Amino acid sequence: MGVSAVLLITLSLTALGGFWLLSLNLGRAVAQWRDRVRVVVFLKDEPTPSALPDLTRRVEALDGVHRVRYVSKAEALSSLRQSLGAQAGVVDHLPRNPLPASLEVTPAEGATTPEATRALAAKLAAFPETEEVQGGAEWVEGLARWQRLFQVVGLGVGAVLALAAILTVTTATTLVLHVRRAETEIMRLVGASETVVRIPQLLQGMVQGLLGAVVALALLEAAYAVGAPKLEPLLQLTLGLARAVFLSLPQILLLIVGGAILGGLGGLLARGRAVA
Amino acid sequence: MIEVHRVSKVYSVGPVKVPALREVSFRIAKGEFVVLTGASGAGKTTLLRLLYADEPASEGDIEVAGFNVTNLRRSEIPRLRRSLGIVFQDAKLLSGRTVFENIAFVLRVLGAARHEITPKAFQALKAVGLSARAQAYPAQLSQGEAQRAALARAIVKSPALLLADEPTGNLDEDMAGEILDLIKDIWSRGTTVLLATHQSRLAAQLRRRTLRLDAGVLTKDEG
Repeated sequence: MGVSAVLLITLSLTALGGFWLLSLNLGRAVAQWRDRVRVVVFLKDEPTPSALPDLTRRVEALDGVHRVRYVSKAEALSSLRQSLGAQAGVVDHLPRNPLPASLEVTPAEGATTPEATRALAAKLAAFPETEEVQGGAEWVEGLARWQRLFQVVGLGVGAVLALAAILTVTTATTLVLHVRRAETEIMRLVGASETVVRIPQLLQGMVQGLLGAVVALALLEAAYAVGAPKLEPLLQLTLGLARAVFLSLPQILLLIVGGAILGGLGGLLARGRAVA
Repeated sequence: MIEVHRVSKVYSVGPVKVPALREVSFRIAKGEFVVLTGASGAGKTTLLRLLYADEPASEGDIEVAGFNVTNLRRSEIPRLRRSLGIVFQDAKLLSGRTVFENIAFVLRVLGAARHEITPKAFQALKAVGLSARAQAYPAQLSQGEAQRAALARAIVKSPALLLADEPTGNLDEDMAGEILDLIKDIWSRGTTVLLATHQSRLAAQLRRRTLRLDAGVLTKDEG
């Protein structure tokens, strides 16, 4: 029964820690992409050198704009050439540069939400020089929604398993109490305080919880060590994350303390069941 | 030391009410040795259980060793019990521990200083003549020895009051005599004693104040 208790605590904390890891890394991707939100204004015509400062000033004066960078037609073509890599030769076959000049607008901090970027895009679209406006924060918010979903699912699964773990520790401790009832009876008869009577139960539950937490962390660390190198290229490609991170020291400590609390709670609840 | 005023105890068995004690009143002064007699089922054990707050009285007031047991909060029960020594017919020794460990266990759970435990435990064992059996396990003891060990456990914390519930119930006459001598010894050192026994001959032999219970009613208080 004691082994089952440790196993269930391990399971619940592994699930909790696993979802935590996913959410943590998605959170990093979201934060990184929030920093990279851009609104691109494609211009009808390439502005003349004398008109460009005025246009840039007018865009910079808008609410929620942090920075404006002008990308000329030539610069755009050069970027295309770079991103095509080995196939860059196709660009040379073009009769003329088809790419428009554009303004790359970086929203100010706090203006990277989908609503704010939509409002900014609408204002930019109203400029007479604007051909089309692209970009925004919609997909970043989609990513953030996934992150929140992982958090909620992780907490839900963790809570259900934690409840099962508490019940198992309670049952395990109740059995121990039955075995040790002669001892607790004598303790009470001679006047031992309830704290003294309960401490062994509490300690037993806490040790089971700590053991479960340590095993859960070892499993998570092993899964991370094996899985992270394999997943990192995919993360780089899809989310732009160079590497997946593991739980930080405070988060590891929180998981260990959580295990001890789960176990201790189960141990304390056992008293009521034993008395009943 | 003990004041019991119009105490009744009624057990409910489903819809049926079973009276175990009816309006029992008596006083025991500090330093007295009182014998509580009565046939099996007369209410002796119930009365003792009320005295050490193992269960509440249905009616009446109880005061023991300065504690108002009737209104005692759960958290105060350990304080009351620390001033009592309790002995049962069954010695209730912990089977996995030696005699010495059984005695030391009490001191340990009551938070005695480490250096006090061994001398105090041996002193209690010496008082009941069991020093030589300190390392024996309960299963290796005779019934008389087991009861001596239970007495040692009761007196190791120097209680003001010793409650003994049929301590000689399982013993032959010689052994019973030895245990009673030990209890008298404990009493002579200043501990108040209330000893419950159904053995009326033994009670008469003691020639002490005697309370008699018959079907939960106190019918005699003399001596």
